[in-house]
Amino acid sequence: MSDHLSDPLIKVPQNRLLVRRRFLQIAGLSGLSLVTGGCASSLLDDVVNKTFEPLNQSVETLMFNPAKLAPEFPQSSIEPDALLINTFKDTPVIDREQFRLQINGEVANPIDLSLSQIQALPYTSMTIRHICVEGWSAIVQWAGVRLPEILKMAKPNANVRYVYFQSADGYYESWDLASAMHPQTLMAYEKNGQPLSIDNGAPLRLAAPIKLGYKQSKWVTEITLASELLPTKGYWEDRGYEWYGGL
Amino acid sequence: MGNSFARNRLNIYTKLITVEASAQESHPHLRPKPRPKQAILAKIFHWANIIALLLMITSGLQIYNANPVFGGRAGWHFPDLVILGGWLGGGRHFHFAAMWLFGLNLLWYGIYVFVTKRWERRFFGRVDRKSLLTGQNQKRKNYALHRLVYTLIIPVLLLALLSGFGMYKPVQFHWIVDLFGSWQALRIVHFISVPIILIFSLGHSLLGLKVGGKSLTESMFW
Repeated sequence: MSDHLSDPLIKVPQNRLLVRRRFLQIAGLSGLSLVTGGCASSLLDDVVNKTFEPLNQSVETLMFNPAKLAPEFPQSSIEPDALLINTFKDTPVIDREQFRLQINGEVANPIDLSLSQIQALPYTSMTIRHICVEGWSAIVQWAGVRLPEILKMAKPNANVRYVYFQSADGYYESWDLASAMHPQTLMAYEKNGQPLSIDNGAPLRLAAPIKLGYKQSKWVTEITLASELLPTKGYWEDRGYEWYGGL
Repeated sequence: MGNSFARNRLNIYTKLITVEASAQESHPHLRPKPRPKQAILAKIFHWANIIALLLMITSGLQIYNANPVFGGRAGWHFPDLVILGGWLGGGRHFHFAAMWLFGLNLLWYGIYVFVTKRWERRFFGRVDRKSLLTGQNQKRKNYALHRLVYTLIIPVLLLALLSGFGMYKPVQFHWIVDLFGSWQALRIVHFISVPIILIFSLGHSLLGLKVGGKSLTESMFW
């Protein structure tokens, strides 16, 4: 462009060129605002997501070390007010006596467990950093039973690769098996030394330092093991969040 | 002896002028004063870095708005004009796509700069330091200052990359979070890189113009 400006062979009045330049600048700016704010944004967003998400997901899966433990913190560093409550709909009402956790799908031994049966399983407590997709974090103590403990009871088939979680409020999630089998992935019924509150997912919720908060379903009632990922992957994932969501 | 040296120099100048004049006769569109030449790889890095930074900053501010680093949800939010993605998920899509351009561009440029020893010639060095501290020539001092400014942005870009990676994989690479002390410290450092980069860009542009004028600036782009 600057070459043309100084090229004496192309005779364009300087002021007309400046007008043209100004027009291009303004056009560029308004084009930018169309991209950043308008409907072109969601179209482009979709293209960008479909192009890069498969790449990111395979790199993230590669980076995930199933044996690596997330750092744990002393009780004194718990931040009781930092854990914000995010819910997509409303808080379900669950009768603790009637509650059953079903484990089914591609398993040899589908089971359902009552709360007392779950609480009789080996107890695990961890104080970890919970990280939300929004950017905030909270040091939280979770306690309950290790998810792999429960999954093994159902005797999953060898071809199982994914785990689905259904919640009482209609929320649904799916995880890769390796993350579900991580020793710090809990089905938690305690938070910060207290029984889990209904707002935090009582009677039973997923809690793990290795996934973003939206992966950690509250009010879990059903766990389904699967060899294939369904077209519906999770409430937020089906609206555009990354499926892997690994930390 | 001094005379013959001067005569030699004069001869060389005369020759140069003659060559230039004849070049102008046969190619009338050639400029009498060619603008400074930049390595094509440096131009490619510069362009890709500008595009990557624009995408990273605008999508990053979109993510910031989901829960401002300062003040949380009640904190000040960036206006729509400067954010990219439309919503948090969209901002993350752009951020985690452009990170490849940003990171890989820095990586190959780093290798290039070290392999070709460009690091020693084209960045702030001992001579620049001396001229800044004790020099008398104002032009030389501006030149050294400009080199200092564009050299200092490299560690800032690397810090943005490192702190971002720490937030992306805080469990797999928790030593990065530990390095910064806390999650909030990590977020602050990552965010602060934005105003630093913007201030740098302004300083770099103005100093570039002061040192080499429009022709130097244009040589870096076209």
